[in-house]
Amino acid sequence: MNQPKPPTIGRRTVLKAAAAAGVAQVAAPFVISARAAETLKIGMINPFTGVYAAVSNNELIGAKFAVEQMNAKGGILGRKVELLTEDSANDVGTGVQKARKLIDRDKVTFITADVNSAIAQAVAQVTNEKKVLHIVPGGHTDPITGTDCHWNVFRVCNTTAMEANSVAPVLFKKYGKKWYFITPDYAFGHTLEAAAKKDLAKMGGTVVGNALTPLGTTDFSAYLIQARAAKPDVLLVLPQGGDMINCMKQIAQFGINKTIHVAGLQQEEESLIAMPPASRVGTWMFEWYWKQPGVPHVAEFVADIRKRSGGHVPTARTWFGYTALWSFKLVTDKAKTLDAVKLAKALGGLELPPQIKLQPNKVYYAAGDHQLRTSSFVGEAVANPKGDPEDLFHIDTVIPGDKTSPPDTETGCKLTWPA
Amino acid sequence: MTAAVDKAAPVAANRERARSLAMLAAIWGVLALAPFWMPYLGGYTALGTRVLVLGLGAMAVNFLLGFTGVLSFGHAAWFGLGAYGCGLFLKFIAHSTPLSIVAGTLLGGVMGAILGALIVRRRGVYFAMVTIAFGQVFYYIAFQWSSLTGGDDGLRGFQRAPLDLGFTTVDILYNSTAFYYFVLICFAAAAAVMGFILRSPFGRTMLAIRENERRARFLGIPIELHIWIVFTLSCFFMAFAGSLYALVNNFADPLGLHYSQSGNFVIMAVLGGMRKFWGPLLGAAVFVVLQDYVSSLTVNWQFFIGLLFVVVVLFFPRGLLGFFQQRVQS
Repeated sequence: MNQPKPPTIGRRTVLKAAAAAGVAQVAAPFVISARAAETLKIGMINPFTGVYAAVSNNELIGAKFAVEQMNAKGGILGRKVELLTEDSANDVGTGVQKARKLIDRDKVTFITADVNSAIAQAVAQVTNEKKVLHIVPGGHTDPITGTDCHWNVFRVCNTTAMEANSVAPVLFKKYGKKWYFITPDYAFGHTLEAAAKKDLAKMGGTVVGNALTPLGTTDFSAYLIQARAAKPDVLLVLPQGGDMINCMKQIAQFGINKTIHVAGLQQEEESLIAMPPASRVGTWMFEWYWKQPGVPHVAEFVADIRKRSGGHVPTARTWFGYTALWSFKLVTDKAKTLDAVKLAKALGGLELPPQIKLQPNKVYYAAGDHQLRTSSFVGEAVANPKGDPEDLFHIDTVIPGDKTSPPDTETGCKLTWPA
Repeated sequence: MTAAVDKAAPVAANRERARSLAMLAAIWGVLALAPFWMPYLGGYTALGTRVLVLGLGAMAVNFLLGFTGVLSFGHAAWFGLGAYGCGLFLKFIAHSTPLSIVAGTLLGGVMGAILGALIVRRRGVYFAMVTIAFGQVFYYIAFQWSSLTGGDDGLRGFQRAPLDLGFTTVDILYNSTAFYYFVLICFAAAAAVMGFILRSPFGRTMLAIRENERRARFLGIPIELHIWIVFTLSCFFMAFAGSLYALVNNFADPLGLHYSQSGNFVIMAVLGGMRKFWGPLLGAAVFVVLQDYVSSLTVNWQFFIGLLFVVVVLFFPRGLLGFFQQRVQS
């Protein structure tokens, strides 16, 4: 019945074979990279696409510069360092996937991730499961080094509580005790508001009102009218990114900053650059700033970064990436091993040297919660800079991390080490 | 039809059956051996697990879209509900992986059944709009209800529990190959149920509705009831996939409920071939693998996925699988 067809090799078969061979050529580098073991690989996962792209790229510039410096000094334990980057696309599932890819396939020794706190926490579960040392450069939510801390996870940037603790006393002393909050209506905003309210209550101030704004709000006028009617001394603007920029633009249009003192907690160079000059007002906290006259090594760092970023100054994000990567080298030099548990024990309590910390106060990873005690730079936004067009912030005080952070016994962190 | 073709019909049918059996064997062979061949092509086991889970989700979307002709743009809602149901069960109720999957599937499926009764009253673009709206309702609930769902930070603090088979326990938390096979078995079970439904008279009725709704109605088929049943089944499959997704990540986040995620499932289904049973799995594989590779090379990876989607829609309207099958047959 069924006549077997004689096997023939047609033109299409040849074409297909050629295409398959071509694909194999493209795939070959992946196969080879999976086997290479001479270089020491560090994986960086960040949302390089989406709303956090600008800050992620600055972290990458800092990280790349750190790798360049490390390799010039002989790498880590004599091995050349290679930085592998992966885009988490601001999606937790993708971030987790990329963490598994870096650890399982590329065999990275260290991981640094992520600007988005939710992804940072999810990746922390993976690195914890796989016992890989993990430094979070720029995800701020408290639990990462608080209630959800892990033995292998460390963090460079401040917690939201540290941010609130740095700005609140300054505002209270200088501008008054009646505060009004504009809070983005999601988990991050609520934590930030709660931290600031706690500080205010401790100092004896009052909250005269708050407006919860949905994420992605473009028109803040209704909230601003309410805020003005409440006659506060200080208006705290807590939205971040695009929402903050919109809110600040409208504050300037309404002239609210002429009668009420405008302030916020965290502010970033990237956001100030994106704002029109009239909106750059108020008291804020920077996590690092590039202009620190008299502080050793800062000027050289700024000059070196300018050469690698198309002339732009380093931001706090650049410093996060730089510090996270250097921490890996500092701790391996100290512990002389790649064993994650020993490294994590050595990194707890490690103090950063002046050429890495790039700020006046003592900077160290607390042994109890693995949070870097780094300074807060509190000051005013500058509308029209006189010298450098990117000099958009005037520092009033630099508060050491020990002052802004609660002691590591009170952050809710209980580290459980593997047996 | 000529007489010659009529005579050749049984031969063609036999050949057709042999071909579909060979294809099934090839699909299951490739899937069953994935942990062994993937590392040589630069893959890794977790990638295979993700393809299976998202492929199952896309097949669930296609169950509705490809076989009944109804486009839902909010199916991520049931996917995400499955994930949250599974995660919340593991976190607060009991440390059991199978029960958590049941819990997640029930949560997503039952919610789908209830809201489906309202949604199926609409057709075409209105149906798609209403599904988006309900999907976004769940997205915002997950986003705002921080005390239960963790809000924007996502639901954390649960891990898949080892499987207790009575005589032995299987570690599916640290052993990624074991977890892959666990997901593969779940996937096979769901695919078998789906295939069984499609072969039943009920499945034929679905096709009849897809081909000509008015004619089906004149034949006395209760259209609304049928679409509601299909919608509900699809939601159960979707929630099942969502539960597995929570276990893959040990995490559930609101973005899993977002309409952009629904869009991704539709893209996978269309990319692979939306009238084919296995099309969405191929689409999911292409989507996930492309995302995984290209995003390591360039941050503009979404551009390339979009480009591929445009090319497929313009030149291969039957999807990749439809295109390949046509090639083989001609």
